[in-house]
Amino acid sequence: MRRSNEPLFWSLFSAGGVVAALLVPVLIVLTGFVVPAEEIEFDRLNDIFTNVLVRIVLFGLASLTFFHWAHRFRHTLVDIGLKPLALPIAVVSYLTALAGTVWAATVAFG
Amino acid sequence: MTDATVTEQTVTLEVARYRPEQDERPTFQRVEVPYRPEWVVLDALNYLKDEVDGTLSYRWSCRMGICGSCGMMVNGVPKLTCAAFLRDYYPGPIRVEPLANFPVERDLVIVLDDFMGKLQAVKPWIIRDVERPLEEGEYRQTPAQRANFEQYSMCINCMLCYAACPVYETNEEFIGPAALALAARYNLDSRDQGNRLRNEVVWADDGIWDCTFVGECSTVCPKHVDPAGAIQQAKVESTIGWFQSLVMPFGGKSAKE
Amino acid sequence: MARPYPRTVSKTWWLKRWPYRIFMLRELSAVFVAAYVVLLLVLVTKVHDGASAFEGYLDTLQSPVFIGFHVVALLFVMLHAVTWFQAMPKGLPIRRGEERVPPAAIIGASYAGWLVVSVVVAAIFLL
Repeated sequence: MRRSNEPLFWSLFSAGGVVAALLVPVLIVLTGFVVPAEEIEFDRLNDIFTNVLVRIVLFGLASLTFFHWAHRFRHTLVDIGLKPLALPIAVVSYLTALAGTVWAATVAFG
Repeated sequence: MTDATVTEQTVTLEVARYRPEQDERPTFQRVEVPYRPEWVVLDALNYLKDEVDGTLSYRWSCRMGICGSCGMMVNGVPKLTCAAFLRDYYPGPIRVEPLANFPVERDLVIVLDDFMGKLQAVKPWIIRDVERPLEEGEYRQTPAQRANFEQYSMCINCMLCYAACPVYETNEEFIGPAALALAARYNLDSRDQGNRLRNEVVWADDGIWDCTFVGECSTVCPKHVDPAGAIQQAKVESTIGWFQSLVMPFGGKSAKE
Repeated sequence: MARPYPRTVSKTWWLKRWPYRIFMLRELSAVFVAAYVVLLLVLVTKVHDGASAFEGYLDTLQSPVFIGFHVVALLFVMLHAVTWFQAMPKGLPIRRGEERVPPAAIIGASYAGWLVVSVVVAAIFLL
């Protein structure tokens, strides 16, 4: 059997799905609605986003949700009939997620 | 029973017909059949064949939901026609088509060669490294060990799950829900030692990894086999195996062995 | 004479029935999640850049387009979260002897965990 490499991408997808489900809804409420309502002071946000633990969580959240996106995006395109392009779609999707991961690292730890 | 003086209620069937000797492509035949609340779609088809048009072809046998041969599309949803009551579709019309995602042999009869091949591919029988001699007795199993796979042994090969699966629709190479559930049935059996052989098919790209967990296979399953669950669990198991083989590239047996 | 009519393949199968439409929306949720995370990283960048950069970005965040995006993204991520937690017992069934732990218990535990995490995160930002 040619061993499938899907387990690697699927585990990234799954981890991304878990963190997205647990963290993103509350974060959208906070940074999408509460922050623009100016209910959170700059100093508070600065304290939060420079905390080492928050930086690590932020990096993990960003990287994993990018790989989560890449996996779903790739498989959905195949599901709607683009199977002949499966390989290039997969390469472009995961490379995009990888680029996003690098950017997330520079933001989180910058 | 029926009062002849009362105007009989009817329901319209739109039955897919394909007669290869005369039809270029499938067409629909509209037929009025008597409406009886206790009738199922299969009863209406039998009425149609007996009383209206004897040329209609379709498969059926037990009419009690265990033979798995009367699966068809009823208003676009895969159903055992012996379990699809007219009253749930009244006043109709009720559109009856052959199971989706398979070639049509004739009328409502599909070609199931692809499915049969896939069932065989997962080696659905108990595999032993060495068969135990007869005099040593049977392979014994606790109720808990049996409960582990029992749900997956309920499959009646009706193929509704294949008709409901868009992944199989767009990719015929996908081994598909019922075959993967059947693989789980043997992989989870404490008497079996064939995981490694079976998983060459199950853990492959066109095995579990084509599945994007639409989940309709489990929704339409008349026996609550839950192929989608079997596939998800196999993904978890395969992923654990993949990481184990990274750590221990030259060995590492599956948990059961 | 056997002349089977070939299987038909539709490229628009995902429009045909509600379960397929919801599946497609569920998959699409990943796009909105990733897009939101991009905005979150931009916000973090602005905060790291200092108070004036953050004040400037506040104007953008307050625009109707951005509020609208966050509303849509929230709806999509809720769909993602609910479908994800509902599916937990499919992938990770738990057995105790002959009995399966009821799927509802696993789903309930997932929702409880979600609630705890949400409260903790909200507390970090607000308290």
